[in-house]
Amino acid sequence: MRKGWKTAFFGLTLGALFGLMLFPVFWLTLTAMRPESEVFYVHRGTRLTLVNFAKAWRSPKIQESFVNSAVLATLATVFSLQVTITSGYMLSRFKGAANRIWFATIYLFRTVPYITWVLPLYLLTQWLGIFDTYLGLLLPHIAVHVCFFSWVMKGFFDGIEPELEQAAYIDGCSHWGAFLRIVLPQARSGVTALAILCWLFTWNEFLFALILTGSRTPLLTVTMAQFAHELGIEWHLMSATAVMAMVPALVVTLFAQKYVVSGLRL
Amino acid sequence: MRASPSAAGASLFRERRRFIFALVAPAAAVLLVFEILPILMGVDASLRRFSLTDEEHPFIGFRNYARILGDAHFLGVVMFNTFFFMLTSVAGGVLLGLAVAVLLNRRFPGRTAARTLIVFPLMVAPVVASIMIAWIFNDQFGVANVLVTALGFPPVAWRASPWLSLGIVILTDVWLQTPFFVLIFLAALETMPREPHEAARVDGANAWQVFRNVTLPLLRPVFLVAIVIRSIDAFRVFDTVWTITKGEPGRATEVFSIYAYKEAFVFLNFDMGAAASLVGAAIIMVVGLVLYWGLARATEVSR
Repeated sequence: MRKGWKTAFFGLTLGALFGLMLFPVFWLTLTAMRPESEVFYVHRGTRLTLVNFAKAWRSPKIQESFVNSAVLATLATVFSLQVTITSGYMLSRFKGAANRIWFATIYLFRTVPYITWVLPLYLLTQWLGIFDTYLGLLLPHIAVHVCFFSWVMKGFFDGIEPELEQAAYIDGCSHWGAFLRIVLPQARSGVTALAILCWLFTWNEFLFALILTGSRTPLLTVTMAQFAHELGIEWHLMSATAVMAMVPALVVTLFAQKYVVSGLRL
Repeated sequence: MRASPSAAGASLFRERRRFIFALVAPAAAVLLVFEILPILMGVDASLRRFSLTDEEHPFIGFRNYARILGDAHFLGVVMFNTFFFMLTSVAGGVLLGLAVAVLLNRRFPGRTAARTLIVFPLMVAPVVASIMIAWIFNDQFGVANVLVTALGFPPVAWRASPWLSLGIVILTDVWLQTPFFVLIFLAALETMPREPHEAARVDGANAWQVFRNVTLPLLRPVFLVAIVIRSIDAFRVFDTVWTITKGEPGRATEVFSIYAYKEAFVFLNFDMGAAASLVGAAIIMVVGLVLYWGLARATEVSR
């Protein structure tokens, strides 16, 4: 009898917590599916439609933002990984003064608030003539990832036994050969985790996008935030866009969970 | 053709050095040009009279810093908000995250599905989360006010009140960040040794006593890491505040990143923005160290 009460209490608490957690997502999706005229009275009426999604997608600026964000996220993933995989490998394997200096640098610059370097980055990208271009977004985004991802990658490499590499060295294999042919294949799950996280982080990123873009290269988060302020009345388009922007997050949650969790646990 | 052993050793050593350099050089170059150089440019701008609309940028020493540290709004509102946000959102995340982790650590049907779903908020863009929750608390059309009026109260003007606006931002941040704590605590709970718990049970402790006196102390090192990391992130919050309030009503909900951004790009005092952002950077370094040191001491003393 007591056990029954306990189970019920446990179930109710868990249900309430998950209900609260999922409610905002549910409500936004419901809003996005209501006809334009009824969007302000989501709770009244039961007419549902998918037309808002089509309308939002047909808006040139929204479509452009989706494409830009996807391209930038993909580029940033490719280049950030190239840069941070090797840097993490160095941190994990080659101890010494250079290692200590690099580790301290990463540690220190991870603490610097983004606003402190993104404000002058505005000047720098203007000066280099890459403001509001893919390149002007890509390079700072790689810099954003250097510290954190080198650190995560070090953790992945720490979990791989160094014996195989050492055997390869004895057999006359070069450092590059051992790294590319022996270590990297073993680090595949770590690299996958980081690739997924990197793509999603860039897709979701806002502050750098806000400051380093103008009208030529609109990015999704910036477009949505502008929406919220300037076109705050068009909630049917706004909510449809936001729901579509969440799709990658949903896909990763459902299908790439195990990779991502290993990357987030630190 | 065979080299002598020592020559082979020297060339191997050189290859190793070149290899190490090649591994780090790309990352270091990007960091140098796109993070360290901008920071130095920011320091330079903060020591000048520097607006994005001006041609000339005369050197004026520490006057911008003096202005910021003498600004009652910066100290009384902005810094207060920043620390208030940091404390409440991290505390909320830790408590809720711990509760959910303990619940999810039990066996029950649907556990796998629950553990999958819980990660979702962590994957969502802060801008999107802000839009969702701001929509719920919309003054005119939000479902929160539907609920309030259904209960017989007059509708609440959420956005007119600094405290309620800040509360909505904090709620959004807790929504976004709780899964981070859940993951960390769950990982720690799962690898926890079982013997102390069983021993306490045998000694007649009830579930709460076991949790309070055995589980919590064992979780302390994890608390330390999670709290320090999240506090540093919460201190520099920007996305949620900007999307939900823009610092309004008035300038009552500005945090330090918003203040620096507005000075630079809204009021066009780039020098003040740069100086404010550097003041914030200095503060968070100190706070990070103090937190780490304080929490490390606290966990040692109580163990």
